[in-house]
Amino acid sequence: MRALLVTPFTAGFMARALAELVLLGVLSGVVSTFVQLRRLGFVADALTHAVFPGVVVGYLAGGVGGIFPGALATAALAAVGLTLLVRGGRLSEDAALAVLLAAMFSVGVILVSRRSSYTADLTAFLFGRVLTVSPDQLALTATLAAVVLAVLAGCAKEQVFRAFDPVAAAAAGYRLRLLDLVLNLAVALVVVAAVQAVGTVLVIALLVVPAAAGRLVSDRIAGVTAIGVLLAVVSGYLGLVASYAASVTYGLRVTSAATVVLVLVAGYLLALALGATARRRDRRRDRRRDQGGGMSWRRRLGATARDRYRRRDRGGGMSWRRRLGATARDRCRRAAA
Amino acid sequence: MADGERSAGPDQPALSIRRASLAYPGGGPVLTGVDGSVAPGEAVALIGPNGGGKSTLIKGLLGLVPVVAGEITVLGRSPARARRDVAYVPQADTLDPDFPISAAQVVLTGRYRRIGWLRRPGRTDRAIAGEALDRVGLAHRARTRFGELSGGQRQRVLLARAIAQRPRLLLLDEPFNGVDAVSQQTILATLAEFKRAGAAVVVSTHDLTVAHLNCESVCLVNGCQYGFGPTGRTLTSPGLRAAYGQQAVELRGDRVIVAGT
Amino acid sequence: MSWLRDATDRAMVESVVVGTLAGAIGVQIVLRRLAFFTMTMTHATFPGVVAAAVVGINIYLGGALVGLLVTLAVVALGRRRGQDLTTATGVLLSAGFALGVALAAAQQGFTRNLSAYLVGAILTVSDADLVTGAAVCVVVLAVLFAAGKELRFAGFDPDGARAAGYRTRLLDLLLLLLVEAVVVVVIPAVGTILALALLVAPASAARLWTDRPGPTTGLAVAFGVASSVAGLALSSRYDLAAGATISLVATGVLGGSLLAAPRHGVLARPTSFRRSRANPRDWRSTNDDLP
Repeated sequence: MRALLVTPFTAGFMARALAELVLLGVLSGVVSTFVQLRRLGFVADALTHAVFPGVVVGYLAGGVGGIFPGALATAALAAVGLTLLVRGGRLSEDAALAVLLAAMFSVGVILVSRRSSYTADLTAFLFGRVLTVSPDQLALTATLAAVVLAVLAGCAKEQVFRAFDPVAAAAAGYRLRLLDLVLNLAVALVVVAAVQAVGTVLVIALLVVPAAAGRLVSDRIAGVTAIGVLLAVVSGYLGLVASYAASVTYGLRVTSAATVVLVLVAGYLLALALGATARRRDRRRDRRRDQGGGMSWRRRLGATARDRYRRRDRGGGMSWRRRLGATARDRCRRAAA
Repeated sequence: MADGERSAGPDQPALSIRRASLAYPGGGPVLTGVDGSVAPGEAVALIGPNGGGKSTLIKGLLGLVPVVAGEITVLGRSPARARRDVAYVPQADTLDPDFPISAAQVVLTGRYRRIGWLRRPGRTDRAIAGEALDRVGLAHRARTRFGELSGGQRQRVLLARAIAQRPRLLLLDEPFNGVDAVSQQTILATLAEFKRAGAAVVVSTHDLTVAHLNCESVCLVNGCQYGFGPTGRTLTSPGLRAAYGQQAVELRGDRVIVAGT
Repeated sequence: MSWLRDATDRAMVESVVVGTLAGAIGVQIVLRRLAFFTMTMTHATFPGVVAAAVVGINIYLGGALVGLLVTLAVVALGRRRGQDLTTATGVLLSAGFALGVALAAAQQGFTRNLSAYLVGAILTVSDADLVTGAAVCVVVLAVLFAAGKELRFAGFDPDGARAAGYRTRLLDLLLLLLVEAVVVVVIPAVGTILALALLVAPASAARLWTDRPGPTTGLAVAFGVASSVAGLALSSRYDLAAGATISLVATGVLGGSLLAAPRHGVLARPTSFRRSRANPRDWRSTNDDLP
């Protein structure tokens, strides 16, 4: 077991890959909560595809080091463009996103197709190469994560307010368009951070699945985020382990991006099952509480008599006046709940 | 509650609309000829058929829909500038019932503007929110998820949010729709408290009894204004018939029956 | 026929078929806001295609089967507490694609298959592909023609349609199946991500020029075929990736329509906007006799 779970990470490149995925896990876990609350799944998907041409241009212009600035530039442009585009009118929002997404991607494909190493490059951009993450890239990811998390922490309560009740938020004076832009940029930056590790195609999993799983289990935003982050980080780790095991034991070269996402989805299915059992438990508890609330007067009196004896045994010695007062108050409280 | 004592003199109306027309950007006017005023401590009922412009007027008072003719003055300022002292209570069923937010958190959002960016709600804010929830009788449900409450309870939570904002003008969009009797009583009692403290209230509703018993003036709208004045004089059969369309209305006691729709 | 032996001619015929299909079903996709669902379909059929290639059965069948499963899963998941359709589709899209990638890695030729799936390989369509495409085209057009007004009714006013006696659930499923069939046929030609452009852009462009349903479909088909053929021609002339060029031409048509269309285009709109804002104080109320 140890040989599988710990030893591979003693190698430098594996340790870096793990660090990268852990950072991405924390970052995307938090951002995915907002994606979930605002139902931004499609926008996030459009952003992941829109970043692709930037990645290609960056690579063509500056090699591996050029990927990040290229991605950053297109991501920012796409985020601003999307915020403006989602305006309504005759072109429906999802049609606009779809076309934008495909168009940007086409530009990237055309650019890549001019090179001879077409298919290999394509797969690298689309699925990432987490095992070739350098210390510089790691530092970049850490910086991006710090910036995005700081910004989101600063406007978290406003984002939630806007997501829940946009009209009231506008009535309170918040600029909705600005809040949306900030969030779109945050998503875009997550895509940029993840591009080299996971590639553009599977980033969407990191942006959607963690919070979706969290929501299945928890009813509070804090809970959704915590579970999302936990799931994302664990998936990074287990995904690496799985891809390593596949290559060493079975000779299969499965890209880590795919295994990470598969673990994420498995976590989601687990959350689905957990959520279903929790709901069944809650329903049973509510049913029992309703039945208990409608106790007959006989049972109720019997209960208080028993309680009286029990308390006396414990050495209570309360006056009968106080005791009666206490149980009446309890009864009212139970009925009100 | 609302600082009625600090308003700019008893003569200044809380709300003053002068021949205003409202239009959504890129389209023609949807509501025209609104003209009237509301004094502090008074309530006006907005009455009219659906689609007639009640919600548009409320959004105009919030500065969310542009005024293309005439003028709207809220607390002596333009609607956008008066936002700090205006609270909005939407219909509860316009909000996502699946959203992971508790009743207490919903009420707290009313304090966000005062808390400001980057800062987290403090103990005072939570105390104010708790007190507001208690006012509407839902202190024991503070940690329940908003969507799990009944329709009437949700409406009361939204009212509590407004209480926490300590406004001088309160706008409610059909707060009595699909609401149980207890919640309705609570809402009416709260509105009376707001008025006593000097806040003005604008409530859009279909319920003529509420208008008769709780509102000093009435505004009838359906695309344009059909009347804006004291309840006794304005809320009459001819007025209602004009607003709802000649052939449609029949008054039976306190209920408006709109036939033919 | 000898002229069909040539790869470019086959590609040309395929592009006409694909353009027609895309335009026709695209109108439904746009009207019913199914763009994201279509995106999911394109990604989720991937594991079916790969698995079918590995096992050796017809890839269309594999893709179609998995697509069907995905449709049902999306509908089921979307009903859960706290999960909406966007989230459900996002999860399934990720799952389907990751599964497909993992499966593809299990067999050789990983990158080549993947590329062809993602960006299409219209120049390597076989006669069998052409025949399948043409058959699906005929079926889809026939269904759209026969059930056109019912689909329109159910899409615009589901409650009214149900009240009138139509089985809206079946109609919805029929539509989703049609979309799925088109997706499965279009992907080998232009690839998964680019198929989205061809499915959505011509129909969106058509909607900017006309409001009537018949002409909208006709225009959408025309735009679709024009984009495909022109895109193919451009790609062979300038040596660019075929699928991507087709997709860009379709986008260009949409962009041009956004600018130029008489009533809904951007250039046309500012004048009407300007008119209403010009003299706000001059606007006269039609109700001078207020009580």
